[in-house]
Amino acid sequence: MSHSKAATIFNKDEKKVNWHDKALWFVRHKRDKSAHSVKGWEELRNLGHGIKAHTLSNLDTYLIQFEENAIKNGVQVHWAADADEHNKIVQSILKAHNAKKVVKSKSMLTEECHLNPFLEANDIEVIDTDLGERIVQLAKEPPSHIVLPAIHKKKEEVDVLFQEHLGTKPCDGDPQYLTGEARKHLREKFIQADAAITGVNFAVADTGGFVVCTNEGNADMGVHLAPVHIACMGIEKLIPKQEHLGVFLRLLGRSATGQHITTYSSHFKKPRNGAKMHIVIVDNGRTEQLSRPDFRASLHCIRCGACMNTCPIYRRSGGHSYDSTIPGPIGSILSPGKDLKKHSTLPFASTLCGSCSDVCPVKIDIHTQLYKWRQIITKETPQPFIKKTSMKMMGNIFSKPSQFDKVGKVARWSLRNLPKGMINSKPNVWGKARDLPLGPKESFEDWYKKRNKDEQ
Amino acid sequence: MSSRDYILKRAKANKPEAIALPKIDVSVFDDSRNILSEFTLKVETAGGNVFEATSDDDVISKVKSMFPDGKVNFSTLKHTKNFNTLNIEKINKPHDLEDLDVLVLESSFGVAENGAIWVADSQLPMRVLPFIAKHLVLVLNKDSIVTFMHQAYKKLSSNDTDFGVFISGPSKTADIEQSLVIGAHGALSLSVFLKEN
Repeated sequence: MSHSKAATIFNKDEKKVNWHDKALWFVRHKRDKSAHSVKGWEELRNLGHGIKAHTLSNLDTYLIQFEENAIKNGVQVHWAADADEHNKIVQSILKAHNAKKVVKSKSMLTEECHLNPFLEANDIEVIDTDLGERIVQLAKEPPSHIVLPAIHKKKEEVDVLFQEHLGTKPCDGDPQYLTGEARKHLREKFIQADAAITGVNFAVADTGGFVVCTNEGNADMGVHLAPVHIACMGIEKLIPKQEHLGVFLRLLGRSATGQHITTYSSHFKKPRNGAKMHIVIVDNGRTEQLSRPDFRASLHCIRCGACMNTCPIYRRSGGHSYDSTIPGPIGSILSPGKDLKKHSTLPFASTLCGSCSDVCPVKIDIHTQLYKWRQIITKETPQPFIKKTSMKMMGNIFSKPSQFDKVGKVARWSLRNLPKGMINSKPNVWGKARDLPLGPKESFEDWYKKRNKDEQ
Repeated sequence: MSSRDYILKRAKANKPEAIALPKIDVSVFDDSRNILSEFTLKVETAGGNVFEATSDDDVISKVKSMFPDGKVNFSTLKHTKNFNTLNIEKINKPHDLEDLDVLVLESSFGVAENGAIWVADSQLPMRVLPFIAKHLVLVLNKDSIVTFMHQAYKKLSSNDTDFGVFISGPSKTADIEQSLVIGAHGALSLSVFLKEN
């Protein structure tokens, strides 16, 4: 389904769309407040960009260094070329430890690899322990946002969902009560777990360690109780040195939710006594993206979600309309690199206003890349007939001033005189749910010439 | 070819030409704010409370009056044996700490810009402690607070910790309609005690 079609479905409930729009704009506002309180914020963004660009330009050496140090720390390192291999590695680790019950903290990589359905099909229980992720897991939906997975759900929906699955009492969606019940439910899961899976926010080449950030403490509750910790990371999570965490931890929380830092920033290096630690390093299309000069900067992404919160399209179309693991502007430049045909409408789900690039903590030129994907997509995938012909016509009109003038006259006259039913006819999507303005009597050029004459 | 070799080969072939690593010049961030008041403000913004204490004994007596109902208590401060209701050496598995009500831990430093407090393996008899306890109390010296994360990592550069965590406030979530709820999976409250040296 195209993005615009999926967005139409989300837009059926206007009140909910308005709520979604405002809720995300509020998060964007919190981001502004906290970013503006930091002196040298722009320099911090430059550093974030520069460190990531440097790392990618030495990626193979840093990967080798990271592996070497991690092994020295007593961690087992695995490599997966694609999602399938990643899932099989995780399964084989679980099998070796006879693990049947697994708790998992937020990891967009395991979402990307569809790890949960794979493990479930192999008789392993996987419980997502981030509250938002648990909500969407119970609803059998994917997350709609990378930081706020259940932002598309109203509290009343969560209430009903918890009554059905956790046996809670009806509470008119009281967040305090529902969170408390989730705490009890998940506490039990933490205590029973045979293994814990986490993502990785940053992996440090020179120590072989990695950092996991959460607000709820769910990653730590999982890994410090279970006998086995499996951390799954994309190859782009690397940074050269521990001191670089100083830059990224200053950027991440503020860009994501406006917090000055997440509640817990846990630094893992060695497994605790008697426990095992595994790291799975995954490619799954990343080295391919690295080969594309115009798009490789998309691998700088630290998954803060700021570009989603600010995007006028994302806020009004919802994360599910993107039909890809990472939605929003950053998802729209990552996904076409994986499957151009499936995600061919995503780079068009943008006004190219550039707000995404402005808030990006690592200065990815997101809107430029969206524009560049459009150039590739219009050449390589078939475009709708109306769009193709109207673009050709517009191209012709704009290239000949006299013709442009004539067409302008006709258009202005039509907007003033034709009946609304004709102006807002089906092919004109601009007339959908809105009235077009009344056509002015003169063009800008006419007005400008007259103005110059009057002034003389 | 193994997946390891395949990934490394492709990373090498597809990477751009070498780009220099930028240097971090901390002076551009200097905002001459007062470290102590900034730290207190940021701990409070993150949902924690800041108190002053003259000694470890002072901390313990204040903690006792703050949590009179605490049945299972544990502290790593020196000379606090009569506060502790459990013997950590007799705990076999981390799961047995599930009923821990109040935990008092020492920390070596905090960060003013975000109220984050560093807790490392060396100060933790068991890693799960600060996450599983209902009420967390962290104790640090006033003059151990640094301005930014950059200085924090300078302190950690000579420090070889196997596990460590920056904690800023009690655990929290806003996953239900963006309403902030304190106490998700970790501590329900965070109290920070600042000691004079």
